Amino acid sequence: MATFSAITSVIFAPSLEPSFSNNVIAERTSNLKMAIGGWRKNSFPSLKTNRFCVSCSAKPETVQKVCEIVRRQLALPAETELTSESKFSALGADSLDTVEIVMSLEEEFGIGVEEENSQNITTVQEAADLIEKLVEKKAA
Amino acid sequence: MFSFVSKRLSLMMMTKVCCFQRNFSSALPPLVPVKLPSKMETHFWYVLPDEVKSESLLSQYSELLSPREKKNLYHMQGDQFKKSALLARVLVRTTIARYQTNCQVNPRSLKFKKTIYGKPEVDWENGDKWCPPPLHFNISHTSSLVACGVTVNVPIGIDVEEKQRRLKNKILAFAKRYFSPDEVKLLTAISDPEIQRQEFIKLWTLKEAYVKAVGRGFSAAPFNTFTIRARVVKMGGFHHFDTQHSEASEIVVESSDDPENLTRNWQFALLDLAGSHYAAICIEKENSAGGEAGVPMRLTVWKTIPFVEDERVSGTGAVVPISGLIKQL
Repeated sequence: MATFSAITSVIFAPSLEPSFSNNVIAERTSNLKMAIGGWRKNSFPSLKTNRFCVSCSAKPETVQKVCEIVRRQLALPAETELTSESKFSALGADSLDTVEIVMSLEEEFGIGVEEENSQNITTVQEAADLIEKLVEKKAA
Repeated sequence: MFSFVSKRLSLMMMTKVCCFQRNFSSALPPLVPVKLPSKMETHFWYVLPDEVKSESLLSQYSELLSPREKKNLYHMQGDQFKKSALLARVLVRTTIARYQTNCQVNPRSLKFKKTIYGKPEVDWENGDKWCPPPLHFNISHTSSLVACGVTVNVPIGIDVEEKQRRLKNKILAFAKRYFSPDEVKLLTAISDPEIQRQEFIKLWTLKEAYVKAVGRGFSAAPFNTFTIRARVVKMGGFHHFDTQHSEASEIVVESSDDPENLTRNWQFALLDLAGSHYAAICIEKENSAGGEAGVPMRLTVWKTIPFVEDERVSGTGAVVPISGLIKQL
């Protein structure tokens, strides 16, 4: 019979090995980023976020930025694992937090998110993908 | 001999279809049953996680959850948050189970499903076929308070928020982005930043409660397409202007998309709950002919620790009406 304390002490710990393909993606996207403008010195993509990101559309930097905003909004302690697959609701975000996160993302990336789309943002990855779609649309 | 056999058979049928309390977790006492709310009556149950300290009780609570609920809980981060998430599931299961006064229902056996719009409801398919009440419920929780509202026949939405909640963004910037122009005007007119923050939170809970009651998510009712405001109601020719103390200000919702119609059907209550939270309740009025003004929401509030104690707190200092026409029972 699971006790309450047993449930709280289990930790999700993804492995941190980068693969070759991750590095290739990182290089390609870093060139793109330079083309768009602005290259942050210490923005080598986080290994943790890359781990799940090999075949996805959003750039690691975008995912990283989303993670930062989520971490700030929810005041997550440093030891809380945050990856692209992290669900906002599992991190303790209520609806007001989610709307605040969307608003911060809009300000950060200079985009506007329709309310029906903001309902569909439930994970870091989904937020990053939507942001990139909107940024592209805006640039077009 | 035959009558004995048939009696046994029907007893066995009963056991199978309506799960006995005795079947599960023998350590927990039975839930105190409660009569269903009547029409235009709302029941509101809440738990204060800080009052639930026993590890063994929490462990027994976890046993009430479905495999999927347990899995969701397993993935949650943060002890306080996990605890309130657990209590939210326990509260909704035990609350609904209480109302099954004809056949005892095991809170563990309840199944839930979502409407096509994503609103949770009870799935009565599983063997409780002959005693499903037309019961509606809605949950809301913060890390320090977990609540469940119940009605019969009409949809309900609730939202609770800590009174001290602070936004990370600027209030007016947020309101301009998400609220209606009239609401922005109202908030902008408040010069005291603390009062402004409080009014923002109250408005947020009311808007959330409305969207949850309508049950179709944000896209059916984007926040900036409707305005919620308090309206003074004539009660026997005597006006109250101080909404803090009166029960004579009605809360109404007006939609910019739909000025006359749907919005007349909804009734609101805004409470100061347990001294720590704002709680908003929105229910659909059953008889919407002419949008009768002045009919109060009949409300009963319980503070509970499921299986341990229930305390009716409506009419006490734990439940202070802020606005909306409310009659506490």
